[in-house]
Amino acid sequence: MKTPLPPSPPKILLRFFRWFCHPDLADYIEGDLYEIFDENVAEKGLRKARWSFAWEVLKLLRPSLIRPVSSFYKPIYIAMIKHNFILSLRSFRRYKSSFLINLIGLSTGLACALMIYLWVSDELRMDKFHDKDDRLYQVMKNSIRPEGIRTSSQSPALLANALKQDFPEIEYAITTGNDEFNGRGILKQGNRQIQVDGFFASKDFFKAFSFSLAQGNPQKVLSDKRSIILSKKLAHQLFGTTKNIIGKTIQGNRDLFKATYQVTGILGEIPTHSTLQFDFVANYDMVLSKVEWIRKWSGDGARTYVTLKKGTDAEAFNQKLGRYLQTKPDREDNQVFIQPFSERYLYGKYQNGKAAGGRIAYVRLFSLIALFVLLIASINFMNLATAHATKNTKEVGVKKALGVTRRALAFRFFQESILLAFLSLIVALHLVGLLLPQFNLITGKTLQINQLLDIAFPILGITLFTGIASGIYPAIYLSSFNPIKVLKGTSYKLSASSKVYLVRKGLVIFQFALSVIFIVGVVVVHQQISYVQTADVGYDRDQVIHFNMRGKYNRATLIERLKSTPGVVNATNIHGGNIVRMLGLGSGFQWSNQESDKEVEFRRPHVGYYFIETLGIEVIKGRTFSKSYGDEGSKLIINEAAAKIIGEQGIVGKTILDGDDKKQIIGVVKNFKVQSMHEAMKPCIMRFAPRGSDIMVKLHAKNQAQTIARIKTIYESFKPEYPFNFRFIDQEYQSLYVAEQRVASLSKYFTIIAIIISCLGLLGLTIFTNEQRMKEIGIRKVLGASVLQIVRLLTGTFTKTVLTAILIALPVSYLLMDQWLDNFAYRINLQWWYFVGAGLAVLVIAWVTVSLQTVRVARVNPVECLKDE
Amino acid sequence: MGKYYLGEFEEVVMLTVGVLYNEAYGVSIKKEIEDRLDRKVSVGALQSALKRLEQKGYLSSKEGESNAKRGGRPKRYFTITASGKRAIEDTRDMRNQLYDAIPKIALDLKIS
Repeated sequence: MKTPLPPSPPKILLRFFRWFCHPDLADYIEGDLYEIFDENVAEKGLRKARWSFAWEVLKLLRPSLIRPVSSFYKPIYIAMIKHNFILSLRSFRRYKSSFLINLIGLSTGLACALMIYLWVSDELRMDKFHDKDDRLYQVMKNSIRPEGIRTSSQSPALLANALKQDFPEIEYAITTGNDEFNGRGILKQGNRQIQVDGFFASKDFFKAFSFSLAQGNPQKVLSDKRSIILSKKLAHQLFGTTKNIIGKTIQGNRDLFKATYQVTGILGEIPTHSTLQFDFVANYDMVLSKVEWIRKWSGDGARTYVTLKKGTDAEAFNQKLGRYLQTKPDREDNQVFIQPFSERYLYGKYQNGKAAGGRIAYVRLFSLIALFVLLIASINFMNLATAHATKNTKEVGVKKALGVTRRALAFRFFQESILLAFLSLIVALHLVGLLLPQFNLITGKTLQINQLLDIAFPILGITLFTGIASGIYPAIYLSSFNPIKVLKGTSYKLSASSKVYLVRKGLVIFQFALSVIFIVGVVVVHQQISYVQTADVGYDRDQVIHFNMRGKYNRATLIERLKSTPGVVNATNIHGGNIVRMLGLGSGFQWSNQESDKEVEFRRPHVGYYFIETLGIEVIKGRTFSKSYGDEGSKLIINEAAAKIIGEQGIVGKTILDGDDKKQIIGVVKNFKVQSMHEAMKPCIMRFAPRGSDIMVKLHAKNQAQTIARIKTIYESFKPEYPFNFRFIDQEYQSLYVAEQRVASLSKYFTIIAIIISCLGLLGLTIFTNEQRMKEIGIRKVLGASVLQIVRLLTGTFTKTVLTAILIALPVSYLLMDQWLDNFAYRINLQWWYFVGAGLAVLVIAWVTVSLQTVRVARVNPVECLKDE
Repeated sequence: MGKYYLGEFEEVVMLTVGVLYNEAYGVSIKKEIEDRLDRKVSVGALQSALKRLEQKGYLSSKEGESNAKRGGRPKRYFTITASGKRAIEDTRDMRNQLYDAIPKIALDLKIS
C-alpha cells in the first residue's frame, strides 16, 4: 500500500547535513530524521514537515555533532605552509640578487601606492565629516548667457528663506556670506584689534553643518542678530583666554559692519579636511540689516546651502527646483540646482551648467599612476620568478612525481609572492614614514603616518593584491610543467620556450612603455608650465608689488608720494585686485556698425593714471590716461582684441556707448593677459577711475628692501586700519598654477621611481640570463670573440625589446599629452624631440643598466666558467 | 556529588533509555521523553546528549536494523552500562538524601 515515491525531505538540506555532520553519526541521525519527517508528513502535512525538518537540521549544528575539521586537515595545511615558507626563505637566500631586486622594487612600488592612497583617501574625505553629509547640498546658480552657461556658487541672499518656505522637502536652508568681507574685517576688544577671516551665516548654520562648539549650544548660538562665535585662537587673541567670555562684547570695524557683537560661543577644532575654514561666524541678519542691495533679488553675494529631509530624492528635487529662481524679479536668465556639498571639492568645475570634473581628475590620475607603479613592480617579480623557472623545474618535477597536486604547487608560488609582498610592506611602511614630510611639502597636505591605521585593511588588501598579481603568472606557468619532461632534463629548453619567453618580453615591453609615457608626460607638463610662467603676458610683471589700501584718503596724493620715493619707478591704483587675478567681466557696450546684436563680454577694469606705464603695457595707437587732459572719466582705452571686435578703422577717437554713457576711445594697447592661461585672451575695455584702492608699484631692481621699507612708511603715514601687506605680482602669477606645479613635481618623482623599478627588473633579468649563458660566453671567448662582440650579443635582445616598448609608447603618449594640453587656451606645441628624447633616455638608461652587468660577464676568464663539469 | 555526574537532561535521557530497555534508539527516546515529560526535544539536543553519555561510558550502542521509512539508514540502539546504572542510582540517592534532609517545617510553610 506504499506510494511509489514517498515524500522526501529537501535534498539540499540533507546534503548540507551530511556535509557538516560527524561521519560516525551521520547515518544513524539521518535515519532518525527520515523517520521523524515521515511521521510529520503524516501528521502535519508536507509543508510543515519540511519546515520542522529544516529546523531540526539547523539545531543539529552543534560542536559535539559536527565534522571535526581540526583533527584531520589542519596539520597538513600547516605543515605545507611551513614547508613552503622554508622553501621560499631558502630561495630568497640562494638568489640574493633577485630577492633584493624584488624587495626593493615591490617596496618602493608599495610605498608609492601607499602615499598616493593616503593622499587620495584624504582628498575623498574632504568635507565628508558633517553628520548630515548625505543630505547637505549647496545651491548653485546657472546664468544662461548667449555665450554659454556660467555656473557660480553665488546666489541671492533671499534665496535660502524663499526655498525653505516653498519646498517642504527642505529641512534647513542656510545663507552664508559675504566673501567680500573675508580677511578684511577687524575685530576690536579693549585695545586689542585683530584682522580676521570668517563669515556671516544664518541661524541654522550649526544645525546643518557639524562644526563642533567648545562652548555654546549649537541650537541657539546664532539666534541673535549680534551673535558671534569665535575660534579658540581668535578668543585668545582678543581676550587672552577662552574662559568666561560668553556674553562679552566686541566691536567690528567698517568692513565687518560697525557694530557691537556679543560672543555666544567658542568653536571647537575645525577639521583640516574642511573646505570651510574660518575664525568666526556671525549672524547673517547683520548683513541683511546693513547692506541694502542684498535685500533685493537682483543682488548676489550669498552662498546658499540646504539640507533635505530624510528620504528626499535629490534628483527629483532638482527637477522641481530648476526654474524656481527664474520666477523672481531680475532673474529671468538664472536657474538653480543643488550639488552635494562634499562633492564640490572634487567636482568643482562646471560645463553646460553641470558639474564636470575638477580635482577628481588628479585623484584619478594619481590612482592610475599608483596602480601602474605597482604593476611595474609586480612584473619584475613575475619575470624573475619565471626566469628562475629553470632552477625550480626539478623541485616541481619531483613534487609532481610524488603526487603533489597542481593546486598545491600553485599555492606554493602564491605563498612566496605574498610573503614577499608582505616583507615589502614592512620596508614600504618605513619608506613612507621617511618620505611623508617631503610628500606633504609637495602636496600641501598634512598627512600623518598614523593615518595609515585608518586604512589598514585596504593596505593589507593592496599588499595581498600585489602578492597575488605578482604570483599569478609564475603559479600558473610553473605548476604546468610536465614532470616527465622536466625530470628527463629537457628543462633547460623551457626557459627559452617561445610562449614564456614572449610573455616575459611582453611584460618588459609593457614596463618600459609605461616608463616612456611617464617621461614624456613629465617633460610636457614641465614645458607647458614653464611656458605659462615665462610667457609674455603683455605686461611686465617683474619687480612690481601690489598692496591694498582702503579708507578715506587722497589717492592722488598717495600715488604722487609713492612716485617721488627713491627706488620707485612708477605707481598706479586700480579697482578689483591686482592685475594677475583682476576680476570684472561684463557686457553692456554698444558701438556703431556692430556686426551682430549679440552682447560681447569684455574685461572692463577700472584703472587709474599710470596704469599702462607702471605695467609696461605697449601702446599701439593713441595715448593713455593722463593728467594733462580733463574729463578722463568719459574716455576708454581698449586692447587689440577689443579693437578687432569694434572695428580697427579710425578706432582712436571713436565714440561708443558704455551703458548709457557716451565714451570716447583714446588709445589701443597690446593684448595683455589676466587670469590663468587656461582661459583664452579676452577683449578688454579699460575705464578710468582714480579712486581704486589696489595700489601697484614698480620698483628699481636695486635696493628693493629699502624701497619697500620707504613705501611702508608712506603707507603707515596715512594711518590705515590694516597692516601693510604686499606681494610681488610675479609670485601671484606663479600661484595661479599651484595645482599644475604640484602635479608636475609629484609626477616627476613617480616617474623616477617607475624607471628605477623597471630598470631593476631589467637588471635582474640580465643577471639571470647572463648566468645561464656563462658557458656559451666561455666557449665564444675561447673561440676568439672580443669583449665588445659579447656585450653586443648580450644587449642585442634587450635593445630590441626596449625599442619595441618605445615605439608603442610614443603614439600613446602623444595622444595623452595632446589631450592634457587642450586644457590650456595657451599651450605649447608638442615637439618631436620630447618623444625622441624620452625614448632615447629610456634606451640609454636600459643600456647602462644592462651593460653594467654584461661587461662584467663578458670580461670573465673563460677558464672560470668552463672548468667544471 | 561523587564521581558520577549527570546533567538534568542527561539524567532524563539515561532514565528513558532504561525505560525503553531494548527499544531505545533516537526516535523512540525522543518520543518517549516528549510523551512522558511533555517537553519538546530536538534531534540535535538528544544526539549530543547521547554522544556525551556514550563518551562518559554510561551508555553503549550497537547498530540495528534499517527500514524504508528510515531511507535505508540503520538504527542505533542504546543500552545502559554498569557504570551508567551506578550513575543513575547515585544521582537518585543524592536526590533522596537531600529531600530527606529538608526539615518538615520548610515544606509545610511553603504549602500554607
